[in-house]
Amino acid sequence: MTVLTRVIARLLLPSTLITAIAVLVKGYGDVGDGFSAAVIAAFGVLLQYVAFGHRAAARALPLRAMPAVSFAGLLLALLVTFGPVLRGQAPLAHSPAPGADVIYLGTLELHTALVFDLGVFLLVFGFAVGAIDLIAGATDRERGQGPL
Amino acid sequence: MIVLFALVVAILFGTGAYLMLKRDLIRVVAGIILISNAVILFIIAAGLTRGRAPIYPLPEGEPISDPLVQAMALTAIVISFGITALLLSLVYRVYTTRETVDKEDLSLAEAEDERQLEVERRA
Amino acid sequence: MLVLPLAIVWLAAVPLALLDGRRRWVGWLAVAALGAGFLAMLRLAVAVFARGPVELVAGGWPAEVGITLRADALGVTFAVLSIGVLLAALAYETLGGVHERALPALVLFLATGLTGLFLTGDAFNFYVFFEIAMTSSFVLAGYGRRTRELRAALIFTVVNLLGSTLFLSGIAALYHVTGTLDMRGIATWAGVADQNSVLLIATIIFVAFGIKVGLFPFHFWLPPVYRDTWPAVAAILSGALANIGSYGLIRFGADLLPRELRFAAPALLILGAASVLYGALQAVAVRTASEALAYSAISNAGYILIALGIGGPAGYAAAILFAVVNSLNKTVLFLAAGLRGWLVSAAFAIGAFSVAGVPPSAGFFGKAALFRGGIAPDDPALSVALVALLFVGGALAFVYMFQIYQRDFWEREGAGQTSGIGSRILVLGLAGLVVAFGVWPEPLLAVSQQAAGVLNGGRP
Repeated sequence: MTVLTRVIARLLLPSTLITAIAVLVKGYGDVGDGFSAAVIAAFGVLLQYVAFGHRAAARALPLRAMPAVSFAGLLLALLVTFGPVLRGQAPLAHSPAPGADVIYLGTLELHTALVFDLGVFLLVFGFAVGAIDLIAGATDRERGQGPL
Repeated sequence: MIVLFALVVAILFGTGAYLMLKRDLIRVVAGIILISNAVILFIIAAGLTRGRAPIYPLPEGEPISDPLVQAMALTAIVISFGITALLLSLVYRVYTTRETVDKEDLSLAEAEDERQLEVERRA
Repeated sequence: MLVLPLAIVWLAAVPLALLDGRRRWVGWLAVAALGAGFLAMLRLAVAVFARGPVELVAGGWPAEVGITLRADALGVTFAVLSIGVLLAALAYETLGGVHERALPALVLFLATGLTGLFLTGDAFNFYVFFEIAMTSSFVLAGYGRRTRELRAALIFTVVNLLGSTLFLSGIAALYHVTGTLDMRGIATWAGVADQNSVLLIATIIFVAFGIKVGLFPFHFWLPPVYRDTWPAVAAILSGALANIGSYGLIRFGADLLPRELRFAAPALLILGAASVLYGALQAVAVRTASEALAYSAISNAGYILIALGIGGPAGYAAAILFAVVNSLNKTVLFLAAGLRGWLVSAAFAIGAFSVAGVPPSAGFFGKAALFRGGIAPDDPALSVALVALLFVGGALAFVYMFQIYQRDFWEREGAGQTSGIGSRILVLGLAGLVVAFGVWPEPLLAVSQQAAGVLNGGRP
């Protein structure tokens, strides 16, 4: 890979992540959700793998934490799912309820659906990055460079 | 439009089925990916409606598209994404233990194992 | 109360996935969580049998808009059974020592998928939980990491994925024809839709579930998988996961598409008979215990299909009863086949007698229910054929079970290491359950009749 691609890849990572976050937080009232946000973010990471190679990219990332990130996301989503049951509501009931006033933080609407989407984001992101690393690592080991 | 969808689904499914019959495990995985994409397309075709995105506030007097098929298709995409990753890691594990991604080689190795087990059983 | 069993196993599965399952205390923690889920399920089942179905719409949406969770007699029967089998298999594996770190969490995820799909009233939600269960079982099938298990897992995954995609296209087509995903709505609208298109959809769904239970023309994947997986995993696959297939056939056939099921009854009877005979003959011919048990599973799936083909309240009750008894038998047999020692051969013998349908085992009542349902006064030729088939199937089952017993338990008496006393007592306890249901079958009969009563096609 040329120097140019590396520079562009490095520059693109923050903007990809910001796009992902935007897609995540607008999911409640607009196009977007946790899954697509996570896929966009994972694409940003994949670009690093392509530009810098498996070793360098893997060194820069906290890969060991990825399973934990995934399962923390799943746990978060499940808590939002089953939390309302404790208050006597149906599972997946969100607060504020449909039609009620939403608390605004700037233009951002705060809502428990957002927490659910955050859980989905973490789950999918952790899973996707883990899968990318596994497959990228496989080609590396193939060339006889051995495991990290 | 329906004919077009049917044609594309049929081609995707047929190609996938063809690939699944190959010896190379990677091609088998590719075949499964194609088949699951054919089914996702089939879901979309099953509830095909043209209109605006069904997001509040709904446009007055204009048709809106059926959101349910989109949700189903998205769920199916997520599931097939997970399954594909699982399948690839399975093939990778086969490769690391057997140094092959060929179905026939795997069967040969298996037969060899069995013969050895039989010898041990007799002894 | 409806979400409690689901919430317990699902929430417990997540932290367990991060722990090392090879440690003994993690295994027992998983057993405890699954046990809690089982108890919650039992409580739900008691409530459902006493007061009728429980229903809940996720998200507090109005019915038909949101995803419905619905527990009726049929669903909770299968749920209690499957979670019980998983609990036994997990306890068995923990007693014997877990070899892979992910196993306890995987069993819990499988329990999540099974609980969810038996308690849902939405066809697409059924598919989602079905995939959760299938995905965990794909990983479970590779448990053991030898080439044999890997190859078994690969076959299992590829074939069952094909089944899942078929099922998904069936659901999409049902949505296209009926315009709803709610099971009750599908049952209403499919009855008035064009019969040809619904028949095609019913066939697709039948093939998908036929692959899951391993019915005769779709059975090819089953023997190598059951033979090459670990005993506890084989017990899980045949005792818990195969329930998806029988439940799916009963729910989608007898409840959602009863008109099509009646139309296809002759075909079901022929396929069922072919399955019974083919499985039994192959089981007599093969030489290893696990392979014979795998073919026996194919043979027993045929009985369920025959019961569905007979139809009517008696036929459906027989199908449910047979599915329950069969799942218990297979769990006992697969678990016992992996052990050695004197209590084990007794347990295996009980399971074998039950498969052959000898009293006082539960299997006798499964066969008896089929006899009762199969005797049609207006069609003597059919009755004679069915009785003859049941007799031949039972006799063959007796032969192959005796062969296994002779080869594995008599001739190798004292050979190999005796297994731990805990696992032996567990297996004997399960076998005791089979005998108990044989000696006192009334509760099981009542359960199967009440479960058949909730089916649209099962009302007199």
